[in-house]
Amino acid sequence: MKQFKTILAFELKNFIKNKTFVGVTLFLVVALAIVMFFPRITDAFSSDSDADDGSSFSGYSGVMLILADGDEEKIAYANAFGAAFTDYDVHVATESLDAVKDKITSGEIECAFHIESPTKYTYYVGNLSMYDENYLIANEVMQSIYRLEQMAEHGIAIGDAAEILATPIEFENVSLGVDQMQNFFYAYIMIFALYIVILLYGQMVTMNVATEKSSRAMELLITSANPTSMMFGKVIASCIAGLAQLIAVFGSALLFYNLNREYWTEFEMAEMFFDIPPELLGFMLIFFLSGFLIYAFLFGAVGSTVSKLEEVNTAVSPLMMTFVFMFIICMTSMTSGNVDSTLMKVCSFVPFTSPMAMFTRIALSTVPVHEIVISIAILAASVFGVGVLAAKIYRLGVLMYGNPPKLGKLIKQVLFKK
Amino acid sequence: MVLEFRNIQKSFGEKEVLKGISFATEGKKAFGLLGRNGAGKTTAIRILMGVFPANGGEVLIDGKPIDRASVGIGYLPEERGLYPKKKIIDQLVYFAELKGMKRKDAEKSIDYWLSRLEMSEYKNKSLDTLSKGNQQKIQLVTALAHDPQIIILDEPFSGLDPVNAMLLKSVVKEEISKGKIVIFSSHQMSYIEEFCDRIAIINGGKTVLHGDLAEIKRNFPRNKLVVRSVDADAIMQKYESRCSLGENGEIIFRLDDESEKSDVMNALVSEYDVDEIKVFEPSLNDIFVEYAEEQM
Repeated sequence: MKQFKTILAFELKNFIKNKTFVGVTLFLVVALAIVMFFPRITDAFSSDSDADDGSSFSGYSGVMLILADGDEEKIAYANAFGAAFTDYDVHVATESLDAVKDKITSGEIECAFHIESPTKYTYYVGNLSMYDENYLIANEVMQSIYRLEQMAEHGIAIGDAAEILATPIEFENVSLGVDQMQNFFYAYIMIFALYIVILLYGQMVTMNVATEKSSRAMELLITSANPTSMMFGKVIASCIAGLAQLIAVFGSALLFYNLNREYWTEFEMAEMFFDIPPELLGFMLIFFLSGFLIYAFLFGAVGSTVSKLEEVNTAVSPLMMTFVFMFIICMTSMTSGNVDSTLMKVCSFVPFTSPMAMFTRIALSTVPVHEIVISIAILAASVFGVGVLAAKIYRLGVLMYGNPPKLGKLIKQVLFKK
Repeated sequence: MVLEFRNIQKSFGEKEVLKGISFATEGKKAFGLLGRNGAGKTTAIRILMGVFPANGGEVLIDGKPIDRASVGIGYLPEERGLYPKKKIIDQLVYFAELKGMKRKDAEKSIDYWLSRLEMSEYKNKSLDTLSKGNQQKIQLVTALAHDPQIIILDEPFSGLDPVNAMLLKSVVKEEISKGKIVIFSSHQMSYIEEFCDRIAIINGGKTVLHGDLAEIKRNFPRNKLVVRSVDADAIMQKYESRCSLGENGEIIFRLDDESEKSDVMNALVSEYDVDEIKVFEPSLNDIFVEYAEEQM
């Protein structure tokens, strides 16, 4: 135990003395400060020049021409489209359809609607953007004009008809489970944070072990300290460092947000982000820590099998692949909205995937309590088991030089040979 | 204090590295653990240090199984290496603490050793700014700072200049006189010969020779003569089948039996102009070559 403390203190000191580690943390905090103070700063500047430039309407998109058969219809449609497309300069076309097409191609005008009948039109545009929703607006306009006309023909007064069409429906969404909209954000952040932190710190643990081995400091370490203490000391030190970094970053974000709260009222996202439900925060911590530990142990064990630093990348790639695989599964099921697929259910009990998968499910769906308990229990037992196994691999691995041994062979040696 | 290896065996997977190593040594005496490359010296040392357990046999201190924590073992590994980028004092304190020392005691002891080895000025430098020999002296501090009862030095003299080698010799002699068990492992036989009272030669996973060095030398067959003569060529010609040329131009004359020593000596001296003639006394080097080569 004393050795463990000594190692932990030594490794933590390494993090504190590591200029990159401290530099990155400080940089993130400063960057966050700038972001969080930004509305206040811009506010301070814009209040000096109080002239409100309401005239400079920025949504202007270009000229839109309307082609129709009758003169009256032309004007009626142009007026209706003009009211709907506020960011276009809408005119009645005076030229022929071909001339209009040429103008669009040359870029002189933006787009044109050729209204062939009250229920049919053609939309002409240069490049059809992925986000072009003009046709939706046009459908709306055309439909309401058509409906009004038809209702008038069937003897309903035009005023009544308009009222009927405009009657709004009152509604309210009541979620009895979880609100995916809100929690999506937390799951997203947690999974990304876990992904980045594990990759970053996992690599650090591997490098740490591999450096000790390649500099042969290991010869002395292994004869001075118990490998289990060394493994746990290193991994827990990096865990504390990682957590401290996250707390520094998110904590300062929270602090800066509260200092500038009144300037952020327009941004609902921000408010939502900083009002995380406490139980979700609790789960986040549990899964984050255990996910981090289980991978850090594995990364440490892998580091011990490497003799030269150049081999580190090759050695960690299988581990990385498993990890990226888990990340992709969670991300795709998150974005598809179906987080309770069989694959996700299985993943949420497998210790290497459960930190992300179970948290995603808790955040985005209603998971029975016993499933959560079982998942956490499996995970906790695995963290410990993997830790001990990693320490044993470490003890064997650090004394082997030359070709990195096969991980499977090592595990076999650890398990079946005393 | 007596340290005893009793029939230690160790295999790694299929490979049997130690097939039964036995030797003993005691305090106030230096012990040489010898063997060719890959003979199993490092494995034996690691078993002594408890890095891994032996498959069979026992390591005993005064007849009882060794308690490594209370005895304390200092180790200078053959593969030197500490943290290259860290401050020397920081890593020395770290290693001493790992060995169970309190921080204050560790600092005091390290200060003593740094000044004893004339390294105090480097205390706050990072290790990789030092020359190889100086790095080795720093590493030596990690083996000595926690005042261990057993000191294992693997090739301690490699890379040291003659002045530093002298310094190391005096340090080692001091430790030996304090009653500590010092174990040398080296291929530089002259140093072993100079220091060690007892030796063990490991070959093929077994102890092939073990005991008091002076006694071993005495018991070595006295069946060869060393002859220096201006008539060397003539002697070689006449006794072709019994002579071989030594490294420095001397003739090694093999006797069929120790009893014919005087006759052969007289015959040679009366027949030829002989400068020197004596019984061949093997150096440790000769003993090593004979035992380590034969049975590999």
